[in-house]
Amino acid sequence: MDSALFLQTIINSIAAGSVYAVIAVGLAMAFGVMKMANFAHGEFYMVGAYVVYFFYALNGWPFPLAVLMAIPIVAALGVVTERLIFRPTQSNVLAGFMATAGLALILQVLVGQTWGVGLMRSVPTPYMGAADIMGAKIGWQRVLIVPAAMVMLTALWFFLFKVKQGKALRACAQDPDTARLQGIGINRMTMLAMAISGASAGMAGALMAPIQPVTPYMGHSVILTAFIVVVMGGMESIAGAVLASFILGIIHTFVTTLSDAVTAQMVGVACMAIILVVRPQGLLGRVKA
Amino acid sequence: MPNDKEPDHVFEINRRNFFKYTSASIAAAAAVSAGTVFEVPSLVSTAAAAEATGDPIHIGFLGALSGPDAGWGLPGLTGNQIFIDRINAEGGLLVGETRHPLKMFAFDDEATGSKALQGAKQLVLENDVKFISAIGGNPADATHPFLTKKKVIYASLISTDIKPDRPYLIAGGDVTPRIDMLRPFYHRFVNPKLKRWAVISQDDTIGLTSQAWEVGSALSDGWDVVYDEHYALETTDFAPVVSAMLATNPEVVSLNLSYPTFVVQIIEQLFLQGYKGLISANYLDTESILQKVPKEYLEGATDSFPLFDDPWWGKPSWQNDFVEEWNARYGPGGPEDVHREITGIDWDHVITLKVWAEGVKEAKTLDPDRVLETLRSQDSIPTILGPGKMRGKEMWGIDNMVSPPIPINEVRDGTKRIQAVVRFEDWFENRKEEIIKVVDSKGQMHYQR
Repeated sequence: MDSALFLQTIINSIAAGSVYAVIAVGLAMAFGVMKMANFAHGEFYMVGAYVVYFFYALNGWPFPLAVLMAIPIVAALGVVTERLIFRPTQSNVLAGFMATAGLALILQVLVGQTWGVGLMRSVPTPYMGAADIMGAKIGWQRVLIVPAAMVMLTALWFFLFKVKQGKALRACAQDPDTARLQGIGINRMTMLAMAISGASAGMAGALMAPIQPVTPYMGHSVILTAFIVVVMGGMESIAGAVLASFILGIIHTFVTTLSDAVTAQMVGVACMAIILVVRPQGLLGRVKA
Repeated sequence: MPNDKEPDHVFEINRRNFFKYTSASIAAAAAVSAGTVFEVPSLVSTAAAAEATGDPIHIGFLGALSGPDAGWGLPGLTGNQIFIDRINAEGGLLVGETRHPLKMFAFDDEATGSKALQGAKQLVLENDVKFISAIGGNPADATHPFLTKKKVIYASLISTDIKPDRPYLIAGGDVTPRIDMLRPFYHRFVNPKLKRWAVISQDDTIGLTSQAWEVGSALSDGWDVVYDEHYALETTDFAPVVSAMLATNPEVVSLNLSYPTFVVQIIEQLFLQGYKGLISANYLDTESILQKVPKEYLEGATDSFPLFDDPWWGKPSWQNDFVEEWNARYGPGGPEDVHREITGIDWDHVITLKVWAEGVKEAKTLDPDRVLETLRSQDSIPTILGPGKMRGKEMWGIDNMVSPPIPINEVRDGTKRIQAVVRFEDWFENRKEEIIKVVDSKGQMHYQR
């Protein structure tokens, strides 16, 4: 690998890591608060992409406005999921997991029935062209994801650490019983966590819609990566998820450049396994008392 | 289905209402038919085929009508039905002295072998189909023992499905991999100064095989093949794939048999990463690609799926009439509006269906052995791409490949236009030993797979 290819691969890695971060942070947050994994998180991402397809590609809305539309729509989907699936099954982790697996299939079929299957939905690239960074090229659409991820993660950090509701959310994630004793409404917090989780997945899907083929099944490809990131980072750690996202972005991109995507997935899973052996709680996860 | 006994003027009214209120269009019929055979809606009732005197002949369609591979299946129903309705409007398919109306029954195999075998059994045992249009690939592997035993002709889109132990499997209407073999020759002819050829496709069976034939052909035409790799079907980010390929400084990038979805993403990355050379592919979906790159970037890109409204075909012509009929029926505002533009897959399946119909007419029988024997003995078989032949023994071990002339298109001002039509056999004859040696070295000959 010469220096030009190395630099190009580093740039590609940062872009990939940013996408992973935006997707995985929501999954980590939902798990942290509810202690349940949302298997339909990939489909939330898919719905975000279809919102952009509908408003931007089909109806000619400005791309930024279409992305902004995806955030509340998928956040609302998260709230509904919490209310109809996670809350009734909160005493049974497996039931919740399986129910969201069912939800994933339902969302795929609904979208497929509405906009068709098999033929990808082509979303025009809103910002054609590429940035030149010391000879390495990256499309403006991918460049956009990096600051978008930073803004989203900064806003999330501010909310969690500086806003009362965010602090309550963290309290629920750390110790739900104590949080309840402090008068924090657990149901309200889980609903808030799912709204934020949905919003982040929706935003990620919306930003990726012009880059990835938009199909009812596009969530499949991201859910495995998102779970690897969350497990690697520490199941309840948002900072861990961000760190793991960039590590996995580097692993996937370098291995794909040198070999192929399947090998990259295998290496990614192997790295996760090694990290779990060395640090069972994940990179930045906490050891339970 | 429309009532066969109603007079035509009543049928017209019912037809509109039928599609409007029951949504029994092809896609809808497929959607509600999960796990079972359904009869494909026809605009021409079999009774309207007034001359028909024989019993209906049933045609099967076995392919993905839902799921990620439906793009290769659903459109095939439209083209086949147009062809069938044309035959029926003429009174049916002539078999000996008797005309028989055609009816099509479809089964959604979801591109999985087990479903395909279930569908093949239903189509043959319950619907008595005499011919099956299919996509091929894994479903072909799963169904061929049963269909061979039952002696039912199965038409795959993919020539790589042809093997000596599948005597009733025909393919080749889709010009893969012959076009992938001819494009190096075409580029060498048009751009003799270029030297460096890079080729890439997905790592599935047809990608591996098709690319092996292309590499053999590129080498035989004097290209330096500087990049010859496959990407995983699971690839979602093509930036690193394209970075690795461009590091070899190619002058022509060939995407071989990359699926249309991948083609769009790879070409976008080629553009973003500053590639300035030629682009060559089995199939370019220009409409989708031009949403990702400027029109100027795609100028001169080459593929081999022609547009049927290309002036090359002339007007009137079978191709032009097909486009007009398709648009009137399945296009915007048509009675069976499928809410998309016409694609190459809409006519791709028709090639082998028409060849089979020609074989039946010539053989004067539905007996599959005699139909195939007759087709193989013909010097020229009319196909929708021009006069073809049944060939393929050197490539696949049996002469079951329909081989029509192969058009080569270049993108001109955002639209594909035919630049040349090449007859494969003449070209192949002069270099087949060299090419087969390469394919053999890659383990992709039919006796190695």
